[in-house]
Amino acid sequence: MTAPSAGRTAAPARRERLNPLTSLTAAAATAAITTAAGTWPLSLAVVAACLGLSVAGGTARRVLPAAAAVLVPLGLSLLWLHGLFFPEGRTVLAEWGPARITQEGLAFAGQRFLQLAAVVLALLLFSFSVRVPDLVAALSARGVQGRFAFVLASTLTLLPAIAARAQRIRQAQESRGLVVSRSLVSRLGAFRLQAVPLVLSLIDDAGTRAAALEARGLSNTGPRTSYREVADSGRQRTVRIVLVLAALAAVVLRVVQAGAGG
Amino acid sequence: MSSPSLTLPSQERQAARRRLLEILGALAIAATYVYLVLNQPADITGGPGSASALIALTGFLAGAVLLIVAVLPTLPASTLVLIPVALVLNIVLGQFVGSTLVPFYLDAIGTVLIAVLAGPAAGAATGALSSIVWSFFNPTVLPFAAGAALIGCLAGLAARYGLFRRFYLAPVAGFATGIIAGVVSAPVAAFVFGGTSGVATGAIVSAFRAMGDTLLAAITKQALISDPMDKAIVFTVVAILVYALPRRARLQFPFVRRHRVLAGNTPVEAAADAPAQGPGHGPAQGTSPDSARKG
Repeated sequence: MTAPSAGRTAAPARRERLNPLTSLTAAAATAAITTAAGTWPLSLAVVAACLGLSVAGGTARRVLPAAAAVLVPLGLSLLWLHGLFFPEGRTVLAEWGPARITQEGLAFAGQRFLQLAAVVLALLLFSFSVRVPDLVAALSARGVQGRFAFVLASTLTLLPAIAARAQRIRQAQESRGLVVSRSLVSRLGAFRLQAVPLVLSLIDDAGTRAAALEARGLSNTGPRTSYREVADSGRQRTVRIVLVLAALAAVVLRVVQAGAGG
Repeated sequence: MSSPSLTLPSQERQAARRRLLEILGALAIAATYVYLVLNQPADITGGPGSASALIALTGFLAGAVLLIVAVLPTLPASTLVLIPVALVLNIVLGQFVGSTLVPFYLDAIGTVLIAVLAGPAAGAATGALSSIVWSFFNPTVLPFAAGAALIGCLAGLAARYGLFRRFYLAPVAGFATGIIAGVVSAPVAAFVFGGTSGVATGAIVSAFRAMGDTLLAAITKQALISDPMDKAIVFTVVAILVYALPRRARLQFPFVRRHRVLAGNTPVEAAADAPAQGPGHGPAQGTSPDSARKG
């Protein structure tokens, strides 16, 4: 565990400021190539590399819980599904009634899980290390619509604010005598008492924001000036092109192979 | 602010281009689905990294992105600012339910809410955007972007044709939407994940697997159990929410006024509101009718 992370600390230390598009391309290309290759040594290597990079970059404390929240239920589900019930399996290791543990089933579950873990970790590593304003500025500079950038940035910044507001509404309702018991009816009633004020205030806010944005020319077409400079270099541009080409090549190769094989 | 058509280039070519993108997006999604269903028996257990996973990812994602590119510029600002709110509602409720032991998802409340208030195009864009933005926290929802877009589009169509005017019709519309959405999403779950991401849904799939079904068949049957119920609940919740909103809040949306989405004395309101709404939103900018894009 310590070896890969120790070996990788050298890379981020001397890196120039990465353009968010470079890291996005890297994460997407890693995901595509890992899926296309579908071999467990590569998946394992990617998982190890992502873990190492997240430790080195100082994001491990946020990446790991998020990854665990996704991967633990997924892994349990796959293990239960394919480990116990895999009608295509031939090598039976154990059997209780309808449930048969087969070697093929376990291999399928393990391989699929490793591959998904690699993809999930690569993408999470990107999303937890990228700075959203930089990403938005980089996207707008490339001609991606300001509207998409607005939706992305607005959602990511609204999330904590709305969670806090939901909490305040719950406290307010509780101070008015809301008691949630275990019965379904009571839970539904409680949901309504909290959801209606929340949604209402959100829609009202949105109306205000729409007027403000419209007054600042959100719907106008034409070039925009950004105050935020995002670092970029010729080398990063080359890296991006190479990564995209590599991912495309891997996907095409895999599809052609499958077409030829069956 | 004032009438935008003075300085803008002619909108007709752009509109045609967007319509083309919409059609291409819908075609990409439909073609991917047909290909996956026709091709499935050969390579589901032929090991992971199957070409099908790649085709499912590429086709569905490309379709969803095309839909976003086509629809997003046409939305008025009042709808656009609601999309982040809808995404947060989707994520907060979906994240909560997905981790519990209920075989439902409830991750479309925000999408359906937008679709009912702002129409099928806005619903489709919200669904697809929701998956893309949510994948910042949970990359496994990314491949379901096309399914989410379909849910938003169908919910908007249901609202447009008056299924939210009667309270008992909303769950029926949700049930039908769930059947279609479940059938479309099942190949993604089967080929990309080799199962489902939730524990409870996984248990249902394994019950069908124990009876000897293929993986795709088992996941489709699970989706046909979970999704219609799930969407019926979601549509009911949205109907409750929309009717609980004060009239001023819900009638601020042109789609609700124009198609008389909700029961009540809307025609009078529409007559009273129509002139007042003109300068604010730009007359041609409202959600255009999108019944043609029913992939």
